[in-house]
Amino acid sequence: MSALSALQEEFAAWMRSTPESADALRARVLDTEKADRDTLLAVYRDAYALRLIEALTTDFPGLLAMAGPAEFDLMARAYIAAHPSTHPSVRWFGRNLADFLAHTPPFSATPAAADMARFEWALGEAFDAADAEPLTFEQLAAAPAEAWGSLRLSFVPSLRRLTLSYQVPQAFQRRDAVAPGELEVPAEETAVDWLIWRPMADADAQFRSMAPDEVVALDAMYGGASFPMMCAVLAEHAGSPEAAAERAAGLLRVWLDAGLIDDAAWD
Amino acid sequence: MTTVTDMQFGLGLRHQHYQEIADAPGRVDWFEALSENYMVAGGRPLVWLDRIRRDYPMALHGVSLSIGASDPLDLGYLAQLKALAARVEPRVVSDHLCFTGHAGINLHDLLPLPYTEEALAHVAARVGQVQDVLGRRILLENVSSYVRYADSQLSEWEFLAVLAERADCDILLDVNNIYVSAFNHEFDPHAYLAAIPPARVKQIHLAGHSHMGTHIIDTHDHPVIDDVWTLYAEALRRFGPVPTMIERDDDIPPYADLVAELDQARRIAQATLMTPEKAA
Repeated sequence: MSALSALQEEFAAWMRSTPESADALRARVLDTEKADRDTLLAVYRDAYALRLIEALTTDFPGLLAMAGPAEFDLMARAYIAAHPSTHPSVRWFGRNLADFLAHTPPFSATPAAADMARFEWALGEAFDAADAEPLTFEQLAAAPAEAWGSLRLSFVPSLRRLTLSYQVPQAFQRRDAVAPGELEVPAEETAVDWLIWRPMADADAQFRSMAPDEVVALDAMYGGASFPMMCAVLAEHAGSPEAAAERAAGLLRVWLDAGLIDDAAWD
Repeated sequence: MTTVTDMQFGLGLRHQHYQEIADAPGRVDWFEALSENYMVAGGRPLVWLDRIRRDYPMALHGVSLSIGASDPLDLGYLAQLKALAARVEPRVVSDHLCFTGHAGINLHDLLPLPYTEEALAHVAARVGQVQDVLGRRILLENVSSYVRYADSQLSEWEFLAVLAERADCDILLDVNNIYVSAFNHEFDPHAYLAAIPPARVKQIHLAGHSHMGTHIIDTHDHPVIDDVWTLYAEALRRFGPVPTMIERDDDIPPYADLVAELDQARRIAQATLMTPEKAA
């Protein structure tokens, strides 16, 4: 290993508070007349944690409102130790937080926290996902009648689907109205499916819950099914082919109006 | 040749000010965008970047090139930077003389290099690689630092001056960082300025800092202090009417406050470069 690489390894270990290498870096660094090397090195170590905690604070305000600053800080430091940043942009640092919270004691004892993290990360993903020019009702209405036998949809890149066991989106909307640490997130009686998307380039992410039949219809179309196949899965909920076709047409209109559909294609 | 009357004064582009920048054109000559903030697929950041770019020249300033790291250069990052530069068509592309990570882990800080012959050769070769990929010369900025290494064989200013010539790159001179590091490491900031080759200095940064008594931390959360303005005037006397901008990254004040602070830079440039001292 080169001298440069050895120094950088020791510095990285120091930043990450790996105790065995602290002495090695200390031996390389000079005191000044005004400050000893430990004081000066601590500037870097402190800033490392604070910068990453700030990134998590920005990306997970709901989680902060649930936990309060002190608990959030403990959680963030545990996450930093377990999942150091590997991306050039701190924007992506929180990408493993939901899984970390779901699987790591003591955080896993509060499953609503992992649900909140999943929801907030999905909002962030939708916020700066690729732009799209959603298909309009008029554009789809102009498709020839024979297109409907094989019509498939593609959806805007910001679209995210989540199944949440806790009332996370509702709590998220209350996050600024409660004292830090006081945000309650009740459990759902049964899990609820949520849709997250960004309707236009210069917009915040939107979210809404979905009825069970919309979930199966959307999942079918998202998975590449044709419009008749979507009608078939809806028939199991609607009771009759006619009711299913009517519901399918209604869902298409809802998706078009919300800006969810990127394009349509047929054979 | 640039003269003091057409010298360009800029600000860091911060999302808190997007709307005001769009609403009140003029006053600020250019903006410096933080490259990583716009390495995203879409959404509001890029909408505003494009919108403001229509009205203003821009510079791209990165924090994750990690030019001094012993890890291989991140070619994916470079590809993103190149794509962003194609979109923005910036007047300059800059990053820092430092390392920001090791062994695949990004530490998200501007960590000081040892000023050794080994590091100099390493960084010079990597600057060449980066400039080949980007198809343009880059600017490297001197960082604020809090520690010095026993192994260093060169001063920071010797290292930077030699690097610029050897790697054929330009310099983004951060006058506040010189002030901060001079205090922390007890060197003469005037000696630093005197060692830097004027032809390489293509941009100047100004910023505020936090004084801890025994050391100064480069926090970018305060206005520029008087001593840094004084050093800035000296830099202008040596380097001429170099495009100058103020960086503010925390406790972001109203846009009008930063525009007013930038006027201070204009006044100093006017007073400094229009006086007989310029000829001295």
